[in-house]
Amino acid sequence: MSGFTISRRTMLTGPAMLLASTAMPTLGWAQTPKKGGRLVLAADSEPRNLNPAIVASNGVFFISSKIVETLAEASFDGKDGLAPRLAVSWEGAADGLSATFKLRDGVKWHDGKPFTSADVAFSALQIWKPLQNLGRTVFKDLSAVDTPDDLTAVFKFAKPTPFQLIRNALPALSSVVPKHVYEVGKIEDNPANNAPIGTGPFKFGEYKAGQYYRLTKNTDYWGKDEPYLDEIIYQVLPDRTSAAAALEAEEIQLAAFSAVPLADLDRISKVPGLKVITKGYEGLTYQLVVEINHRRKELADLKVRQAIAHAIDKDFVVKTVFLGYAATATGPVPKNDPQFYTADVPTYPFDVAKANALLDQAGYRRGADGNRFSLKLLPAPYFNETKQFGDYLRQALAAVGIDAQLVNNDSAAHIKAVYTDHAFDLAVGPPVFRGDPAIWTTILVQSGIPDGVPFSNQGGYKNPALDALIAKASETLDTAARTDLYKEFQRQVAADLPLINVAEWSFISVASDKVGNIANNPRWAVSNWADTYLAG
Amino acid sequence: MSRLRRFLHTPEAVAGAILLAVLFAMALSASLLFPGDPQAIAGPALLPPFQDWSLPLGTDRLGRDVLAELFHGARTSLAVGLAAAAAALVIGAVVGTLAGFAGGLVDEVLMRIADAFQTVPGFLLALAFVSVVGPSLGVVVAAIALGTWTGPARIARAEVLSIRERDYVAGARVIGMHPLEIAFREVLPNALPPVLAMSSVIVAAAILTEAALSFLGLGDPNRVTWGGMIAEGRTVLRTAPFLSIVPGIALVLTVLGVYLAGEGIVETTAVRRGLS
Repeated sequence: MSGFTISRRTMLTGPAMLLASTAMPTLGWAQTPKKGGRLVLAADSEPRNLNPAIVASNGVFFISSKIVETLAEASFDGKDGLAPRLAVSWEGAADGLSATFKLRDGVKWHDGKPFTSADVAFSALQIWKPLQNLGRTVFKDLSAVDTPDDLTAVFKFAKPTPFQLIRNALPALSSVVPKHVYEVGKIEDNPANNAPIGTGPFKFGEYKAGQYYRLTKNTDYWGKDEPYLDEIIYQVLPDRTSAAAALEAEEIQLAAFSAVPLADLDRISKVPGLKVITKGYEGLTYQLVVEINHRRKELADLKVRQAIAHAIDKDFVVKTVFLGYAATATGPVPKNDPQFYTADVPTYPFDVAKANALLDQAGYRRGADGNRFSLKLLPAPYFNETKQFGDYLRQALAAVGIDAQLVNNDSAAHIKAVYTDHAFDLAVGPPVFRGDPAIWTTILVQSGIPDGVPFSNQGGYKNPALDALIAKASETLDTAARTDLYKEFQRQVAADLPLINVAEWSFISVASDKVGNIANNPRWAVSNWADTYLAG
Repeated sequence: MSRLRRFLHTPEAVAGAILLAVLFAMALSASLLFPGDPQAIAGPALLPPFQDWSLPLGTDRLGRDVLAELFHGARTSLAVGLAAAAAALVIGAVVGTLAGFAGGLVDEVLMRIADAFQTVPGFLLALAFVSVVGPSLGVVVAAIALGTWTGPARIARAEVLSIRERDYVAGARVIGMHPLEIAFREVLPNALPPVLAMSSVIVAAAILTEAALSFLGLGDPNRVTWGGMIAEGRTVLRTAPFLSIVPGIALVLTVLGVYLAGEGIVETTAVRRGLS
């Protein structure tokens, strides 16, 4: 699968997930929005390709979602968890073979040309389906996009495709780029990939490598009176400790995506004029997962996997590694997902005695040195928390007589070791839940995936019953029946433990009190910020 | 005056020796005072020092005993420092002696190889080596030795060049000793003192390099190292600075101790040579 291009940032943040937690009231600030002003915020990476239609990842969205808009955005209180953007309404056909989008009238591209259904058709067929990291799976059966008029786009599918999946994919996967800019030359080499042209509330200003990105106000934006801000400056601050200092010195007004380390939040929340915000990331949930290589005969034994699950104190992990900014996990769908999550799955409470007993039953008795067997443990290097959990897991396994030897790698070497060479016994990974299990969750456990596909089942796990369930769910059109199948999927994964879900976490923002309308949707950091403002 | 007494009359040498003695005592007693895995979770996370006397230096982000880690870290630092220095000195002395004694093409080739190693900064070389081969204690030792053997090699060669013209070397030739035997039994022992004088600098540099590698996450992750402790503490520098400061101080004192003791030894031997 040469098509999976990997940059470090794509890995880090991964493409976004879509839907929000249950009806959560929009955060309201008492002030009335004020016009004007320049918002300066911390950016910790500099993506080379800023085209969100090709690279659907949080690192790219963080900047380009203000410039290039999607058909719909995630919402706390909208129908099906969505709020309209470039599409004003959407409907799936009962046979799952088509989906109709009515588009917004009077929208102009940043270069003045009108936005039409031809742009949507072009983006879907020429970019999302063939080029986009996530669109390749979701839109694989998209055969055509009909454009009966300028404001209607009808997606045609070769095979029945559940509309629930398409809907859930809209916020992250449906960035629309202008056909007239991209139809000339090769899409991947288009200069607009580095200086995007969109319909969003902000235009791309300039980029100085290692210094900043500047976005300027789109005075022709379709939203009434929007945007409020005149300018957004992304100040490149790769060192995490410098973001906190810059906030305190009032050099920046916002640090999103946990740019301020968790350990500093307690201190910084007491600084007058700054606030710590944990909301606005409900649609971007990361999962802390122990990946298992089932080729090891010890780990192929369910009793051993159960013992490992019992040996992990999930509450300790949440409290100590994540300092409380996380939740314990029960299975492959995070608790904050409103559509699919079920708590009705087998659970593995922390119980060292039981873990020891299970290992004894499996026939792995402690040797003279107190160890039963030795394992190679590879913690993913992308987050401090994944590394720290690796340190913890080593201790937790030592307590049940499993000697885990840590192997540290950089990002590229880790991906090669785990997903191509399978040179691991246990690995710690941070997959992202993307709002629908079919987008990138079932791939973590289903069999038959070629070697080298990152963040997929490369542990050699094969369970025909689970594979059949995944296949059935992918072609079930009825929303309720489909949801039930994914609940059954969670039960089977939790029962057979192809991997062990430990915790779920997301990001934290720290902002100046002056920044208004923060965190008012579940993907706020990667939404368009048309209503964000700076109070006087 | 005996050499020992002269050593003891040099205040910095005594200070260095005391520091080193403490360090060795820490390294040797680590398993006795803190049996078991020093990375085991011993208490609540981020406990500040001097709060709980069973954990006198507090705990790190996972609740591991900082004092236990410090003692076990002394072991790693000393082991790596001494092993890397020994390896560098042995390689350096052998290469230098061969180059100096053989002369001609052998000298040219060996010294150009040394040049090649010297043009790459030692730390960079170690960094590249460890990231390619993968971090473990042996690899770290080899990586550090790889960057430091050139110094001893050049000094040994310079000494050998002057020694090989001496009468006793000519004498050895006349009685028919094999050239290699002359090189390693007659010449090398006499060329060694100035090379050994470098050892303190090399040990100190090796300890620092190991700490720097661990700080960058290229140390052996299954072993406590001071550099690794400083790196761990860096993420909570503003809230729990002691996590970086404590191993930092240990590192400073160790390097200082090695250096002062080394200086003291050089000084005492130098005085003796000057007098004789």
